[in-house]
Amino acid sequence: MAFSTTVSQRKHIKRKAPRGFLKRVFKRQKPHLRLETSGDLLVHLNCLLFVHRLAEESRMNAFESKCGVIKKEHVQAAAKVILKKSRG
Amino acid sequence: MAETMAESYNRESEPTTRTLLRRVLDTADTRTPRRRRSARVSAQKALLETPSSRRLSSPTKMNVRRRSHRARSIGRLAHVHTSGNLEEQTPRTLLKNILLTAPESSIMMPESVVKPVPTPQVVQSSRRESSRGSLELQLPELEPPTTLALGLLAPGRRKQRLRLSVFQQGMDQGLPLSQEPRGNASASSLTSSLNLTFATPLQPQSVQRPGLARRPPTRRAVDVGAFLQDLRDTSLALASPGDSLRTPVATLQMDTVLEDTQPFSQPLVGRSPSVYHSLPCTEAEDAERAVSHRTQSSGPRLQNHNPRKPAQLLAAKAKKVDALAVSFPNNSSAISGEDGVEPLQDGVGEEAEERMEEGLSVSKVMDTTGTQGSVRTEKSKGYREMTEAVEAKEPEGSSGDEDISASTELASSTTEFLQARRPQFLEPAPPPSTAVLSSEPLEPLSTRLPPRARTPGPRPRQDPHKTGLSHYVKLFSFYSKMPMEKAALEMVEKCLDKYFQHLCDDLEVFAAHAGRKTVRPEDLELLMRRQGLVNDQVSLHVLVERHLPLEYRQLLIPCAFSGNSVFPAQ
Repeated sequence: MAFSTTVSQRKHIKRKAPRGFLKRVFKRQKPHLRLETSGDLLVHLNCLLFVHRLAEESRMNAFESKCGVIKKEHVQAAAKVILKKSRG
Repeated sequence: MAETMAESYNRESEPTTRTLLRRVLDTADTRTPRRRRSARVSAQKALLETPSSRRLSSPTKMNVRRRSHRARSIGRLAHVHTSGNLEEQTPRTLLKNILLTAPESSIMMPESVVKPVPTPQVVQSSRRESSRGSLELQLPELEPPTTLALGLLAPGRRKQRLRLSVFQQGMDQGLPLSQEPRGNASASSLTSSLNLTFATPLQPQSVQRPGLARRPPTRRAVDVGAFLQDLRDTSLALASPGDSLRTPVATLQMDTVLEDTQPFSQPLVGRSPSVYHSLPCTEAEDAERAVSHRTQSSGPRLQNHNPRKPAQLLAAKAKKVDALAVSFPNNSSAISGEDGVEPLQDGVGEEAEERMEEGLSVSKVMDTTGTQGSVRTEKSKGYREMTEAVEAKEPEGSSGDEDISASTELASSTTEFLQARRPQFLEPAPPPSTAVLSSEPLEPLSTRLPPRARTPGPRPRQDPHKTGLSHYVKLFSFYSKMPMEKAALEMVEKCLDKYFQHLCDDLEVFAAHAGRKTVRPEDLELLMRRQGLVNDQVSLHVLVERHLPLEYRQLLIPCAFSGNSVFPAQ
């Protein structure tokens, strides 16, 4: 994987997609629609990229405010931008 | 010239540099006797020209240059000489090195016989340089062999190292130290080292790399107390489930802990008093021993305490505290890991149990010393630690709430397990005051148990949704590479919720646009294109390959297999 080839032993990031969770969420939101099996994985991919962009933006905000910790305000400002971007 | 060069090389092996260079000198003398006197001052500078002059290969030009460069300082030139010549690695450079390190008695010259035309002047200049260098050099006591000088590539740089080696050799062999300038230092060291090679074959290595010199290991008298303390520390460190790396090993020891708490109880028992009270510690240990003797029948645990006690008494208390503190950060940091939680929970349970029994034993000890109030606080703290599975023995705050929530279940199970043990542990406690104490441990635990039983109630609705979101929240914290606040994580959860809503709406629109009722991967691709993730440069397959693991990749990207089949089928 390009972004994290090495993971420290402390944080074992699960690479599995929570497929059941995604299907449940979709079903809860749009009960009249159906989601295909591989669409599930693409939704997961989309979520990954969204989270990635959000994290990058939050990190940039934190850097700009010269803070070593990501705070709620940073995340909020980043979310505004990224949600607008991923409106589609 | 090549012949002379070869000749010089041949000669180097048998006689000294001195004879070799004398030969060169003699040959050079015949060619241009006039230049010798004139260029005496500019010998060093001339040498600088020699590399360039060689390239130019025009003697007249070189002469002019030589004269023009007179103003340069000799030292700098010498340095430049060596550095410049080092790169070239010509016979000239090698012999120059010989010059720098060779004894003064011989009129040495670096080989000047390399180049046909400039060699005469070059020879003279080098000769002058050599003479000057020889003048500068003070005589070392022994002649260096030529091979040594050839090996020397940076005599100036190696001054310090050689001095060290010289010193070492001097110390070893009782040779007098020589306060010589750089060249001499190297030369003398070389010579002495050479002499010493016969005695100690390792010395040349030290000349080259003094750091690798093998010195006799300094042996100190073994401190039994410190040794035993270290033993216990390592056993405790091994026992504590600090790293997920160590969990496989640790789990084995965990098992042993469950059945037989021998390896861990005494150090912890010894440590906890030290944390809170330094003075009663010795008394505590003595009291412990007495108590353990008395309570031998209570269980195998106490019996195993006894052989360890004397060893334990030897150790310094401070060390225990330090080791404990060291193990705790390991534990706390390890606990923060996600996947490491599960194996950690076992370890946490073990540690909780340890602390539990430690707290109890300490409580007994404290009781005997008469400090009940402190014992109560200590025990309550111990219980708190146990239930929350926080490893900070010092009264520091527990680690994150996530850790607590993650380990509460297991902690509850361990407390129940310990509760079963506790009665038998406490019964044989002789003093009547321990009866008071025995009631005390029961009470806090009993009060703690019901709250834990109540908490799993109102969760089930939110939990799966939260756990699914927490997966992405953890990914967020991983991608951000920075520490985050809890409030920020809550914010991320809210963002994710909003994002999912947007996502589903968009997919519905796209599917409806295509006249379908099921969402297909094409809709997803269209969504990503609109988001700007997929464009003409970056295709969906590229993103899939980048971010998804192999198994999902195989499912998503159609690939041709044998038998003219494509999977997944289009």
